[in-house]
Amino acid sequence: MTSLACTGNASVLPATMALRACDGRDMVRAMLTAAELQILSTSLGVAGRAVLFSLPVAIAFAWALSRRSFPGKSVLDTIAHLPLVLPPVLVGYMLLLGLGAQSPLGAWLKSSFGIQLVFTAEGAAIATAVMAFPLMVRAIRLSFEATDPGIFEAASVLRAGPWDRFWSTTLPLAWPGVLAGAVTAFAAGLGEFGAGITFASNVEGETQTLPLAINAALNTPGRDDMAFRLAMISLVAAITGLVLAEMLQRWARRRLDA
Amino acid sequence: MTLVLREAVVRRGGFRLAADFEIASEGVTVVFGPSGSGKSTLLATIAGLNRLETGSVTLNGRVLEDAFRKTRVPTHARGIGLVFQDARLFPHLTVRGNVAYAEGRRPAARNAPLTDEIARRLEFEALLDRPVRNLSGGERGRVALARAIVSAPELLLLDEPFAALDGKRRRDYLVLLRELSREQGVPMMVVTHQIDDAAELAAQMITMQDGRVIAHGSAGDVMARPDFLGLLDQRDIGVRLPASALAGRNAEGVWVRADSVLLASEEPRGISARHVWRGRVASVVREAAADVLVSLATDAGYILSRITPEALADLRLEEGATAWAVVKAHAL
Repeated sequence: MTSLACTGNASVLPATMALRACDGRDMVRAMLTAAELQILSTSLGVAGRAVLFSLPVAIAFAWALSRRSFPGKSVLDTIAHLPLVLPPVLVGYMLLLGLGAQSPLGAWLKSSFGIQLVFTAEGAAIATAVMAFPLMVRAIRLSFEATDPGIFEAASVLRAGPWDRFWSTTLPLAWPGVLAGAVTAFAAGLGEFGAGITFASNVEGETQTLPLAINAALNTPGRDDMAFRLAMISLVAAITGLVLAEMLQRWARRRLDA
Repeated sequence: MTLVLREAVVRRGGFRLAADFEIASEGVTVVFGPSGSGKSTLLATIAGLNRLETGSVTLNGRVLEDAFRKTRVPTHARGIGLVFQDARLFPHLTVRGNVAYAEGRRPAARNAPLTDEIARRLEFEALLDRPVRNLSGGERGRVALARAIVSAPELLLLDEPFAALDGKRRRDYLVLLRELSREQGVPMMVVTHQIDDAAELAAQMITMQDGRVIAHGSAGDVMARPDFLGLLDQRDIGVRLPASALAGRNAEGVWVRADSVLLASEEPRGISARHVWRGRVASVVREAAADVLVSLATDAGYILSRITPEALADLRLEEGATAWAVVKAHAL
């Protein structure tokens, strides 16, 4: 591996400037091979899109579940938790049945919008989104439930209607939970395997995320080194995600603590 | 402002509130009663935070809720402000953000001060850009009041907003409330269980006990009713004097406790007390606690004094006798 281009100047430049010149992207590029970089960026892309897809739905579910009671609440609760207990392969298979090219919905998406989910990063993101959904709903719901309902009454006597209250008080006050839910789901999404490989398959540069690549490397003789390096990358990414989630939550809680 | 509650009943857990009254006032109406009598529930019901089981609520001719016709205007569309006892400021906004929240949502047609004006008026300009978590209890109360005034309500309800204050700051707050009501043209309904606050603030009064409204009308009338004393602790028993009886007093009225009134059988001279009234003994009532309540009819109105039976005998205070009531200014 080549030495870092930016460290060469360290003796002539002040240390801080040398650090700034040596930005994170250069460091990563210097440490990872092109193939590893490709896999990492596929992973980040899939997990990121998964968070984007599931966040609005998770907020809606969490909000509904945090309300005192309504008909069908337990059904909704079950649906939200289902991916937690179903085998991931089963989730992938159900997605294939529902959204695959052979399914009516999948065929319609393809003919009307040219959207194909199977074998694409979008498909992998949807599978990942479904798997990370319960984690996200849980974090956001706890946050909604922790908010003093008196605050909403205070908003309503200042002429704020239900939607207004949601955007101006409910959501901003639950922001730490939403953030933590998103980051946790992102970190978990980096590790999603079963549902993704079943629904979106293992396509290099499109749906081959870190765990899929590790699996492929392990199944190829002589690629143990690569499997180990990918596993380390995976580990670092997951831990970074968790630490980030914890830090964000602490920061946000401090900001809101009255 | 005309507020009418007709046979309104609200149930919350084991508590039942029943109210039937009509109040017409542009100033301050005090809702008075012992703790747990339903004062806060009454305010929440008027604001639409509780659902009526039966009856109706009408404000200025507009039906806000009618359980029989199943009509109900939601809280945010009632145009009724409510200052909660615990202020309930938005923790994610600054002081300015809290007040501006109200400013951004009031109807354009209604006139009310802007955020900066009210901050100057209530003297918290220096706090405007602070997060609300650092505010003291008194500061929170002022910001909550400002926020409510800025939202330009047709009626402003206040639930013991001065509970966190004491002494001079409490006095100042009460004066401020009456001034704001007049300046901004906002009728107010203020909950309190403190008799001094009630007498000082109230032009109109609603009294409550055990979840029922027992009297309503002008403060002078309501506080002169025989059943009014039944709402008070023994040591609070006394009479309301109109502010006109005390020169230079910025209040609607003053509560004079029987315990703080001395009686003299001859005109007192050379004493430090500021308030001396000459009167005729109207009645002498022995209390269970072995004290005697003497009622004196004076030019300012009836004044009650609590004395011992020995003092009564020494002063020979019988009905019809002339006596002087003496009150220290600090006792008022």
